[in-house]
Amino acid sequence: MKRIESRHWIFIGLFLLIAAVMLLGVELNINPSSETQKMYDYIENLPPGSTLMISFDHEASSLPEIRPVALAILRHAFSKGHKLVGLALFAEGTVIGYRLMDRVATEYGLEYGRDYAYLGFKPQYIAAILSMGESIQETFPEDYLGRSIDEIPLMNGIYNYDQIGGVISIADGSLTTHWMEYGAARYNVDILAGVTAAMVTTYDPYLASNQMQALVGGLRGAAEYERLTGRRGGGSRGMLAQTTSHLYVLLLILLGNIAFIRSRRKGNN
Amino acid sequence: MDISTIVAGLLTMAILSFLYRDNPVYKMAESLLIGVSIGYTLVIVWTTTIVDLMILPLFAEGKLGLIIPLILGLLMFSRFHPKTASLSKLPIAVMIGSGAGVAIPVMLEARTLKQISATVNPLVSASGTPDIAALVVLIGVLCTLSYFYFSREHTGLFGQTAKFGTWFLMLFFGTTFGYTVMSRMSTLIGRMEFLLSDFLHLVD
Repeated sequence: MKRIESRHWIFIGLFLLIAAVMLLGVELNINPSSETQKMYDYIENLPPGSTLMISFDHEASSLPEIRPVALAILRHAFSKGHKLVGLALFAEGTVIGYRLMDRVATEYGLEYGRDYAYLGFKPQYIAAILSMGESIQETFPEDYLGRSIDEIPLMNGIYNYDQIGGVISIADGSLTTHWMEYGAARYNVDILAGVTAAMVTTYDPYLASNQMQALVGGLRGAAEYERLTGRRGGGSRGMLAQTTSHLYVLLLILLGNIAFIRSRRKGNN
Repeated sequence: MDISTIVAGLLTMAILSFLYRDNPVYKMAESLLIGVSIGYTLVIVWTTTIVDLMILPLFAEGKLGLIIPLILGLLMFSRFHPKTASLSKLPIAVMIGSGAGVAIPVMLEARTLKQISATVNPLVSASGTPDIAALVVLIGVLCTLSYFYFSREHTGLFGQTAKFGTWFLMLFFGTTFGYTVMSRMSTLIGRMEFLLSDFLHLVD
């Protein structure tokens, strides 16, 4: 049996800390950032019945972080009576996107084809983004369920981005950049994003230059959004664990540096 | 509890067992993840690309123009034999040429021109108060750019400016690293939430 090393104690400490905090069930009072507020305001201020496109541009591995973000945005959009057209430009995001949309639509008693539709996956994301700017029908002749796009009532009258209120890219990588470069720059469609925290600094310059209208970043962004909509979810539940785990990391960094300085001093002596 | 929750819970614990040490259970879960990901992606790409964009339009709808991309695509496989490898340069040339043609104008617009435009904001707001954020952005961009200017030695005032630029770089790297830590913690918290609620039913 291998003996427990110091790193194992660090992991055990982190697990116990997160488990204890989750069992407590306490929620932090999170103030929404301006980036998250922009997303809320954008969806809130769209005329009821507007059509939004939501693109699931992420892998399955980022689901724990992406899910609360996507659910918070979907719930807000559906609750405002907006129509949603879903798609995926990442193969792994295809079924995840469909299940998330279907789940939230069921919560609100919405009907597939009338209130929302899911177009499925299209390879070659740049070609897909450009192609939808010309014709969504030609890019996706069938939806995810194999129905002809002409048979979906929601898609009647929606030909390209001109009939779309905005595109929300749910991403864990740089794919949203392509939405801005090819969708926004060429077809002038508004781009909004819900991304993992690791990607926030990548998209901040685009937000600052108004190439992106709003950005919801990571678990914190999800918690902020849930606060705005007043509906508790995975973001709110995870924020205390997030904060305490960060304090734990900070404590370890501090202890590590103290130990390092002490050992260096001993070495000098 | 449905079977998918049980499988997901067991696989999550199998992956987390790596934190103790590498072991066969982790290896099995890792191989399963890679296999399922590749298998799923292959099926999706086969149906949405090969079948929907090539086989059905070409053979069922008779769109003969698709023979050209089909031939170009098949030529990519010529790389596997030394005698025919040079033929693969043709589809690669088409891809690079068309790709660059599409990408250069939009990337120049989105990544350069609009970013420059956003950098040169009025330093004083409409109400007459100085816009500190705009000033920080301007100084940060100029100092960081000066660090990457290597045609002149980094000495004197220019050297100080370049050094100041490295501080902005460090701030960026620090922020990015902080966000990455936050992202990884979120992933762990997400799985912990799943284990404690859906799998073990310890929390609501």
